[in-house]
Amino acid sequence: MSSDVRFTDFKSDKQPTWCPGCGDFGTMNGMMKALAGTGNDPDNTFVVAGIGCSGKIGTYMHSYALHGVHGRALPVGTGVKMARPDIEVMVAGGDGDGYSIGAGHFVHAVRRNVDMSYVVMDNRIYGLTKGQASPTSRSDFETSTTPEGPQQPPVNPLALALASGATFIAQSFASDALRHQEIVEAAIEHDGFGFVNVFSPCVTFNDVDTYDYFRDTLVDLEEAGHDPNDYESAKEVILDADKEYQGVMYQDEQSVPYHEQHGVTEDMSEIPDGAPEDAMDLVREFY
Amino acid sequence: MAEDLNWAVGGEAGDGIDSTGKIFAQALARAGRHVFTSKDFASRIRGGYTAYKIRTAVEDVQSVVDRLDILVALTQRTIDENVDELHDGSAIIYDGERSWEADIPDGATAVDVPLKSLAEEAGGAIMRNIVALGAACEITGFDVEYLDEALEKRFGGKGSKIVQNNKAAARAGQEYVQANYDLDLGYDLEVTDEDYVLLNGNEAIGMGALAAGCRFYAGYPITPATSIMEYLTGRIEEYGGHVVQAEDELSAINMALGAARGGARSMTATSGAGVDLMTETFGLVATSETPLVITDVQRSGPSTGMPTKQEQGDLNMALYAGHGEVPRFVVAPTTITECFWKTIKAFNLAEKYNTPVFLVSDLAMSVTEQTFPPEAFDMDDVEIDRGKLVDDDGVDEWLDSQGRFRAHAVTDDGVSPRAKPGTVDGAHMSTGLEHDELGRRTEAQDERVRQVDKRNRKVETAKNTEEWEYRDFGDPDADNLVISWGSNEGALVEALEYLEDDGIDVRVISVPYIFPRPDLTEEIEAAEETIVVECNATGQFADVIEHDTLTRVKRINKYTGVRFKADELAEEITDQLSEEVPA
Ligand SMILES: Cc1ncc(C[n+]2csc(CCOP(=O)(O)OP(=O)(O)O)c2C)c(N)n1
Ligand code: SF4
Ligand SMILES: [Mg+2]
Repeated sequence: MSSDVRFTDFKSDKQPTWCPGCGDFGTMNGMMKALAGTGNDPDNTFVVAGIGCSGKIGTYMHSYALHGVHGRALPVGTGVKMARPDIEVMVAGGDGDGYSIGAGHFVHAVRRNVDMSYVVMDNRIYGLTKGQASPTSRSDFETSTTPEGPQQPPVNPLALALASGATFIAQSFASDALRHQEIVEAAIEHDGFGFVNVFSPCVTFNDVDTYDYFRDTLVDLEEAGHDPNDYESAKEVILDADKEYQGVMYQDEQSVPYHEQHGVTEDMSEIPDGAPEDAMDLVREFY
Repeated sequence: MAEDLNWAVGGEAGDGIDSTGKIFAQALARAGRHVFTSKDFASRIRGGYTAYKIRTAVEDVQSVVDRLDILVALTQRTIDENVDELHDGSAIIYDGERSWEADIPDGATAVDVPLKSLAEEAGGAIMRNIVALGAACEITGFDVEYLDEALEKRFGGKGSKIVQNNKAAARAGQEYVQANYDLDLGYDLEVTDEDYVLLNGNEAIGMGALAAGCRFYAGYPITPATSIMEYLTGRIEEYGGHVVQAEDELSAINMALGAARGGARSMTATSGAGVDLMTETFGLVATSETPLVITDVQRSGPSTGMPTKQEQGDLNMALYAGHGEVPRFVVAPTTITECFWKTIKAFNLAEKYNTPVFLVSDLAMSVTEQTFPPEAFDMDDVEIDRGKLVDDDGVDEWLDSQGRFRAHAVTDDGVSPRAKPGTVDGAHMSTGLEHDELGRRTEAQDERVRQVDKRNRKVETAKNTEEWEYRDFGDPDADNLVISWGSNEGALVEALEYLEDDGIDVRVISVPYIFPRPDLTEEIEAAEETIVVECNATGQFADVIEHDTLTRVKRINKYTGVRFKADELAEEITDQLSEEVPA
């Protein structure tokens, strides 16, 4: 609508109750800036939030929004976008929300390639329920319910996305504000399902995957000269278990979003005052 | 009693039984005869037995009965399955050339027709069922030209050659019986000038959804709900809508919810096992105040139960499923036309009250095809009420002093406004968390109470301002009252005729609204005896009625997996009336 939208327009007047220093502050700021930076405004934006510390962003942001059931944010976003191709849809949630209870939906949302962005605030822990192992927790990460560590390999969400036929796969770091914003903007602008896994440290329950850890280890793919349009090198960085990367790993430039593929282009919210004009034809079909 | 004819075709799954039966049903509809169909699946004998049964009369028919006049049997199994329903005047059409020696029960007339050879002569063995239909025309004195019309409808898309061959096959069957048998079983199918449409309950629900402006449907395949999704697919697009096959029911209901948040009229449909999964989201639909129609086409449970069998076992689930207290409406259409009208009503209720509406149907209604005059679905009578949906101008009235949209405004009638995305200044969040008027999370005691009361007040408002009428049949002053919900209505209405013949006066109250529902206290007090009829073992609706009226009722429960039949119900009611009322 208006070109003078500022990112603060996407801020609600509720003060976040996240722990001071929580990665989600930076993650959310970048999302708001990216939404504003791509020309959206709150009245034309729909944010779907999962359940978790991460899911609270629905409350702290200002837009049309739904804060739903644990793990089901992607289906909600899918429904909004299909009914309203004219609306910018952004889905956000935690690693538990997206890769555990909602993992089934993740695979199929990726496959559908609905034109929306999906930001996972990955802290490698269940924050809201006070520190249990998440699907991205390290195998030896000790928690109240896994005193020896989960003793299972963590899910690689990027690889899961790739295997499911993703057209946009990226990773960012909450504290690298500029890069995070850029990457989320690219996900928004992507014609299809724009998936960003964000390292969003939990300062209270995760003393391993910390700001320092990511600062020390992160490799920026842009600086490394990675070509996101090259599937083979995308596969290489995505499957590389030895390094943490930030940047756009993969983008299919031929991506055809769901609504184009299926001709779902109309605003479904507009309907006539009575039955459609030719509705008696529906009855006559049964002669 | 209606001058009815009961006809069936049966064989193995894969024998084209369904389409053969449907062609004959359509021919009868073209001839201005009413038709009521039912489908049998393997029951007494294991295997792929399936049958399509038609009851037809000039007057309206609304039930099946335990009598079979003409049976087209493609297998011995078909005869064995139906042996109890055959009588002295029955005719069995079969193919003696096939490898089985038909064992025809005493009294029934065997009509041996070389179906396969005649079909081959007409152009292909695949048409042997059509030869049988021609034979059936001859036995029932039914003009084969009506069958031609049905064949044109069925095969018209495949080219005139195919249509011609099928017509020839039908005539071959007809002429064979004419030339080789001198039958007088007394069947002479009368025709009328009427022209009826023929459809089942799921098609009526789908058509109702389209008429009501439903533009989005998400579902996960499950018998017997899938045919709603199949009906909408290919049609909803004509109106700019879309159908999505979701990865599971958890997703289906959340997609439908998302589309509704986008401002679309949206629906999902499933059967019991799917409702279990969807239950997770019921509370969210209610607290986020999202208009959503959730259809449950019931089948036999619990668990996978008898997936292709009839049952009305989900009433308690529809009423109570979901943790916490979930305000909702529960509507249960009682006939196929009502499937259409109540679907439209469900969409209006959902949007007027921003509330989930459960539309509860059942397997029997979903597979039964029945004839109606097209006016029964007069689209001019369709009314759309979108409730308090506000536009850019309407938003202002609902902004707080700081210009924020009060999506969950506490109002006298309990109903808050609804702004769809894109509405200027309407941006707001809704949530499954308890919230204030703006949708922001709160645990403040007074806010909590205000919102709970507000949501419940919507239901009160609906109770007091909407019509929740029941359908009344038989003698309104009768001492005997029979109450039913859902698809038993037709069989009960016909049972009244049997009862009347026996001098038993009965009033039938058929209830399409389960919540809110009509208060039947006066009706039950006025009657000497009350019986509640339903297809489940425990009497879930009877419990509800007893709770409402503080009166014990008698119960007729059927949970064999087969719907009630009119004659059977008349007998059961007669038996029950002579029993003591339970203490
Ligand atoms: C059906 C259901 N099961 C369990 C919970 C409890 N629960 C709330 S958030 C959560 C995990 C959140 O983890 P994550 O998605 O990583 O979010 P974070 O808090 O770390 O941001 C759980 C198990 C719930 N709300 N709903
Ligand atoms: S518990 Fe962790 S994730 Fe949750 S707010 Fe605190 S720091 Fe953030
Ligand atoms: Mg987490």
